[in-house]
Amino acid sequence: MRTVEELIELANTHLGTALAPADAAAELTELAEWDSVHLLRLIALLEQELGRPVPVDAVLQARSLRDIWAVAVGA
Amino acid sequence: MRDRDLAQGRPLDREPAPSLRTLHARGRLAAAYPAVPELLAGADADELDFAGRVLAPLDPEEVLRHHPDTPTVRIAVTGRATVGDVVPALTGQLARHGILPRTLVCGTGAYLGDLADPRSPLYAHAPDVTLCVLDPLTVWDKVAAPWQPIEVSVAAERQRKVLGELAQAHAAHAPPGATLVLNTVPLLRRFTHQLTSLAQRAELGGLWRQFNADLLYMARPSAGLAVLDLEPVTSAGVRADEPRLGAYADAHCTAELLAGYAREAAHLIRGLRGAAKKCLVLDLDGTLWDGVLAEDGPEGVTASGSLRGAAFGAFQRTVKQLASQGVLLAVCSKNDPEAVTRALAQHPEFPLGAADFVTVVADWGSKAEGVHTIAERLGIAPEAVVFADDTAFERESVRAGVPGAAVVPLDGEPALHPERLLADGWFDTPTLTDEDRLRPARYARRAARERSEAGSSDYRAFLAGLALRVDVSPAEDHELARLAQLSLRTNRFNLTGERLSTEQVRQRAAAPGAVVLAVRAADRFGDDGVVGAVFARTEAGRLWVDNLVLSCRVLGRGIEEAVINGLLRAARSAGLTAVHAGWRPTRANAALRTLCPGHGFTTVGGPDPGTAELRFRHPLRQLQPVPGHVRLELRLTREQEKRAREEGEVTACAPSKN
Repeated sequence: MRTVEELIELANTHLGTALAPADAAAELTELAEWDSVHLLRLIALLEQELGRPVPVDAVLQARSLRDIWAVAVGA
Repeated sequence: MRDRDLAQGRPLDREPAPSLRTLHARGRLAAAYPAVPELLAGADADELDFAGRVLAPLDPEEVLRHHPDTPTVRIAVTGRATVGDVVPALTGQLARHGILPRTLVCGTGAYLGDLADPRSPLYAHAPDVTLCVLDPLTVWDKVAAPWQPIEVSVAAERQRKVLGELAQAHAAHAPPGATLVLNTVPLLRRFTHQLTSLAQRAELGGLWRQFNADLLYMARPSAGLAVLDLEPVTSAGVRADEPRLGAYADAHCTAELLAGYAREAAHLIRGLRGAAKKCLVLDLDGTLWDGVLAEDGPEGVTASGSLRGAAFGAFQRTVKQLASQGVLLAVCSKNDPEAVTRALAQHPEFPLGAADFVTVVADWGSKAEGVHTIAERLGIAPEAVVFADDTAFERESVRAGVPGAAVVPLDGEPALHPERLLADGWFDTPTLTDEDRLRPARYARRAARERSEAGSSDYRAFLAGLALRVDVSPAEDHELARLAQLSLRTNRFNLTGERLSTEQVRQRAAAPGAVVLAVRAADRFGDDGVVGAVFARTEAGRLWVDNLVLSCRVLGRGIEEAVINGLLRAARSAGLTAVHAGWRPTRANAALRTLCPGHGFTTVGGPDPGTAELRFRHPLRQLQPVPGHVRLELRLTREQEKRAREEGEVTACAPSKN
């Protein structure tokens, strides 16, 4: 996974969200398309996609999709 | 006949996700809700997860605007920790069964307040079912380190007592007939192995099983408390806890455990609604035995003797076990009927023989037609059928041709047949009644009765020769569960569609003026037991019939006419001035619209704007006769019954001509 757009695509495919690349920097709490019950599933999807564990505590504290992507890929 | 290539290759089951995905993308899910069970048949774990996630945010009211008849269930979810994550899984599982949930998720970890406080949002939601999810940290959150097994034992017992009290609170504050669902708590290795002494570890293992066993013994599903056993879920390979999400998000269950929990909970909810399937239709070649009848001949098929044969034998024993609890077995096979008869007769070593099947369809027509024929012969709805076959083509034919029937995908590995068959609890029911155990024999007699009917040139002569006896009187204690079951499971002859749990039937029967009657029938083919129920009450000198239910197994023999006319006569004899009844349309009871008017009632109200109920009244002046071929005994109250017995009276309502 090289870009945050790929993470957004991953979420849309598996969670049924309709997130746009422009949502990457928005606060998660501001995103109408985002529900906190999706976060735990997204962590599992990320680990499946990356083939390695992600730092769960940091992902849970991330405030935007870009933050999630950054801690997940270790950028 | 089995198609070996298909059977051993990848199952050709449809992949439903794209189409559900398309509906979601077009915003058409609510409008297409009735198609969802079909789309989810055969869905894998990921597809079900996706379905749950896109269905959970749907507004149930929007679905109901499109499809007002959609069965709904009000669910409250509470628990020891973060519980909202179970909602998508549960929504997806219920959607598989066509059930639309109205779900309220209560506060995280607030189950004590939710359940104990009568003014809590949980009770304001008026749930039909409350799920109190007990995660693997249950009890351990009350144990301080360092600890000894005895302290865990004390905390566990305290927890069980609290849960018992919360169950009582739920019974008192939730709507009548509501069910609280608890679950057993998986024991984690990271706790057992904090004890280094093997003796103490064994002690902990023992006391924990005791705690779970005590929880299970508290269950009384027909009285509003169910306990899901999660051990079969975890022993099938599902990990119970997610330590990282537990530590950082107070979400201790894995998604897989919640998915397994949701699957079991959905079947429990289905069972509580009385929607259990009634009949298991089985293929023969590759399903019940090894070999191909048309090629190997009746002597050549096996279910023992070889390794593979023995695996088929084990599957037959699983099927026989289901039949012993009232599941009707039928065969649907593409073969010559004579060959099937010979094969079933020639293998006494098979666990299943000809006598275990209530009916057999063996021909070369489509299996969808075969399933319809079987349902018609048994007088059940085609969607009450579970169809199991190892050939993908046949499964597709039944899926397409029998909407609503459950299809079990078997394949070329007979050792896996039992768990494939049991993967979904299609036949789950809150409690088993004596009627359930006797059902297969009764349906077999029904088939004999119909053959006799076909052989009788004149239907009236057939009825006259039945020697039909119908006994209607206040339900005995041991019959209450059966009455509840009839109200839950009967669709066609259910005047108002009102569903009652055993506890609710008990309350009705104990209320002042209650007239809760069991209808029992027998004829020369045998005793049919309790086949119907009258839920009524006397008030202000009138009889108010709240519901009338009759098993479809006995329709068409004049029992319905006898019960209604007998009821009217008994009401008049008891000095009552009128009988009131109502018909509320449901998905299956349209034919009953004219039942009351056809028996001399006049329409006095309705259709009610909410329920579309029509209300009827009979002034008890002109009464119709009880059909002459029915010997009816009908008593409204125990006093009448007692008096009749003392007077040696034979019938309360003899046939008459006025």
